[in-house]
Amino acid sequence: MTEISLQETSLKNDRFERLQDAVNMVNQIIMGKEAQVKLAFSSLLARGHLLIEDLPGVGKTTLAHALAAVIGVRYQRIQFTSDLLPADILGVSIYRQDQKKFEFHPGPIFAELVLADEINRATPKSQSALLEAMAEGQVTIEGETYPLPKPFFVIATQNPLDLVGTFPLPDSQLDRFLLSISLDFPEPEVERELLTAQDRVLMLEDTKPVISPADVIKLHADCQQIHVSDALLDYVQALLAETRSSRWFETGLSPRAGIAMLHCCKAFAFLEGRDYAIPEDVKAIFPSLARHRMTVPHGMETSVMEQITGLLNQVAIP
Amino acid sequence: MKRAKHIKLNRQGILWVVAALSISMLPQLAAMPAHLIPITLLPIVWRLLAEFRDWKPMPMVLRVLATGFAVAALVITYGGLMGRSAAVSMLALMLSLKLLETFRIRDARIVVSLSLFLCGTQFLFSQGVPMIIYITACVLSSLLALMYLHRGEAYGNLGKAPDNDRGILTELGFGVRLVALAFPIGLVLFLLFPRWSSPLWGIPEDALDARSGLSDSMTPGSIQSLFMDDSPAFRATFEGVIPSHGQLYWRGPVFWDFDGSTWQVSFLSRNLMADTKPDPGRAPLRYEVQMEPTEQRWLFALDYPALVPRRTRLTMDYQILSRRPVTQLFTYAMASNPNFQDTPQLRQTLLRAALELPQGFNPRTAEMMAEWRTEANSDTEIIQRTLAHFNREEFSYTLNPPLLSRHTVDEFLFDTRAGFCEHYASAFTVMMRMAGIPARVVTGYQGGYYNNIGSYVLVRQSDAHAWSEVWVRGSGWTRIDPTAAVAPERVEQGAVDSLAQRRHLFDFEWLRNVRNTFDLFQRGWNNWVVAFGADSQSRLLSIFGWDVLNSTKLVIVMIATIAFVGAITFLLAPLLLKFRSPRKQDPVLRAWQKFNRKLARAGFVSSPSMGPLELAECAGGQLKYKDDAIHRIAELYTLCRYSQADGDALKLAELVNGFKPEPAVR
Repeated sequence: MTEISLQETSLKNDRFERLQDAVNMVNQIIMGKEAQVKLAFSSLLARGHLLIEDLPGVGKTTLAHALAAVIGVRYQRIQFTSDLLPADILGVSIYRQDQKKFEFHPGPIFAELVLADEINRATPKSQSALLEAMAEGQVTIEGETYPLPKPFFVIATQNPLDLVGTFPLPDSQLDRFLLSISLDFPEPEVERELLTAQDRVLMLEDTKPVISPADVIKLHADCQQIHVSDALLDYVQALLAETRSSRWFETGLSPRAGIAMLHCCKAFAFLEGRDYAIPEDVKAIFPSLARHRMTVPHGMETSVMEQITGLLNQVAIP
Repeated sequence: MKRAKHIKLNRQGILWVVAALSISMLPQLAAMPAHLIPITLLPIVWRLLAEFRDWKPMPMVLRVLATGFAVAALVITYGGLMGRSAAVSMLALMLSLKLLETFRIRDARIVVSLSLFLCGTQFLFSQGVPMIIYITACVLSSLLALMYLHRGEAYGNLGKAPDNDRGILTELGFGVRLVALAFPIGLVLFLLFPRWSSPLWGIPEDALDARSGLSDSMTPGSIQSLFMDDSPAFRATFEGVIPSHGQLYWRGPVFWDFDGSTWQVSFLSRNLMADTKPDPGRAPLRYEVQMEPTEQRWLFALDYPALVPRRTRLTMDYQILSRRPVTQLFTYAMASNPNFQDTPQLRQTLLRAALELPQGFNPRTAEMMAEWRTEANSDTEIIQRTLAHFNREEFSYTLNPPLLSRHTVDEFLFDTRAGFCEHYASAFTVMMRMAGIPARVVTGYQGGYYNNIGSYVLVRQSDAHAWSEVWVRGSGWTRIDPTAAVAPERVEQGAVDSLAQRRHLFDFEWLRNVRNTFDLFQRGWNNWVVAFGADSQSRLLSIFGWDVLNSTKLVIVMIATIAFVGAITFLLAPLLLKFRSPRKQDPVLRAWQKFNRKLARAGFVSSPSMGPLELAECAGGQLKYKDDAIHRIAELYTLCRYSQADGDALKLAELVNGFKPEPAVR
């Protein structure tokens, strides 16, 4: 019983309330995208990185800004272009004549929240510089290792792949992103409000942070406490097994993706205010988790999202 | 139809087959000559080694040689392959050899099916109730093996590995359900298949469990050995009155010839038939005797038998002798008249036979009897005096009498004074003959256990008894039981109960009572299975109004019944064979499934891929009037099933039971 009551207090504590406030504030800035905002926060709480795939101008950058503003962290934006070099991301060592030694100038990646805008416009070399830093949590330049700050959260945006002048990310790199979401055009009423209400940029300037980076680290630990029952694990495994059967996708989800699914699922349950995960949590995060990791088999006239919906409807909840 | 592929037998399969075969073979191994045992076991061992060491199947030449060797061993042992023991041994040996080439499921199935047949052959040797228990074990193990093999084959044909993750009890449950389906048809075949007049199982050879019981001679100690044996001798079902315990003298072998220590059946008594017998119409006692096999010719009846069963004869001393030894369960109707006067006029030859004594034995007794003879006025007086002598002097009735040497009667009467019924009967008869009174020894059974539930008298070997008969002018042969003079309780209570001491370690009165009551089942088994012959069959059919049916009509009735029973079985089969999912045992899931069924009746069909809250959302949207209840149940269910806290399963079940949506209108 003591364990349960502890769990309850940790949920009811003020850290959790401030997290809810942060979610609400972001929802006021990015209107009508509650689901995507919740997924973005899940990704943050599960220590994963977020990929936003959408057309320019639907609010990708604003979302990243809003997150940075409510968390109160250093925020850097890297605009990826075809002539971007790894040093532009990571930083350079410059020889100081006066001191007769090299001095490291950290690049934009040394920030808690990094927005990598239009990541697929850069060359693979630069892409991989970012992605390796994301995977390892540190940067190595000329034999020196520089740790990245904690928490470290990357939001990358990607233009639709069929646009001219893009270098698609390889599958292995895509796997580094925990979730991928798309924002889509707003609903008409929301759009009307967007058009009439205050400018988003001004709103962001007015926004005061409600959670600190230290809070985020504690929230990471909180999410790990979420209970996952055997019945839920059965369901997760059934889903994983189904992705690997040949009828849906080219290849199935990897065990790493399975672990990521569980982490993300816990974070989502935590955001819902539960101390245990349920199949609905899995179903909520699964499309975002799977869609950038999967490809439709050759000769099939469906989209990845259609396949994912079909698969979710196929797998019975044990 | 596509021919089934030959699917290889895996390790678990071969272990099942070996287990089933070994269990079926056990009694055969115990019964066969010792040198055949290793020959029978060798192929089994080879096959197990081949499995675990990955040996290749044995070449054909070697297998043929092995078979030849085995047949030769059988012929040398039994002098041929005919006869029950030889045939069954051959079956066991060949089945074991079959293992040498059993590497595919098809062969394995043959082995298991034939091992069922092998255990069926055990009925040729024993038909008792313990056998049933053993055969049941055989059938169950073979059933498990067969199910395993069939599943392996069915999956093998689909190119898959079988799922053998079921527990042995689930497996067994399924097997028993399969047998239950086959049982009605089996029962119809058993009851209606045309029968021989003798029971199916009876084989006129050395049936192993025939108890010899009383024999054609009596020495001190011969009945005493029977006294240790609690196996049933026969059962008698009375019509009307049952005589009191003291009246139940079941007459068996009668002895005339005495050589100083042993009493024997005389040539005369075997071969002279009874001149007169009681009128069966006026015999007050009517009963039916069902006799266990004895390997002897005597049939048992109360004094004096008025009926002579078929293929038997009645001797002049009223023994009923069968033409052939009784080797199978034998049932006969009998009537007795205890008031019949036995031989009022005794012929000279018989008189001489009834007085004859060997010379030079028992001088002290002879001297005493000569003295009594002179003192007495009549035969009756001497008889009375002798009985009084036994009663008054320090004679005792005991299970462990001292050993006697040459002058058995002298030593018994004057020195040891302790004995069992045969000592008293023997001594009394000798004394009578010495006094010039014709006398003979009668052996048989005295008393019996009256089974209240079955209303029949069960007579066991331990009820064996010996008494005397003296011939008195005017009243003929008269039964005198000297044991009754010494220990009246022997006759009143029965031999076993009259003893203060226990016969052996496990001889308790309560245990004997349990056994006596349980004999009812043995009797039922005897009546309905072992002794089920043409007579019983026609008796059964007459209940349905078919009095006399010839074989052709019987077969028609049988086929019609099988068609009817088969059709019912066919309809019931899907119900009986449905596998129940073990998950249903979880009360939380059970409640949830019940909830889903209720929703379905109300018109909301859930999809298996719906999460509980999602389902509640949809169902609540459709069945608005129950929105709250649906959400409450779904939330409690998620709590029970997915949270760490032990949710209240009882409360969930209660909520589900209380959930009563209106049925959908179609």
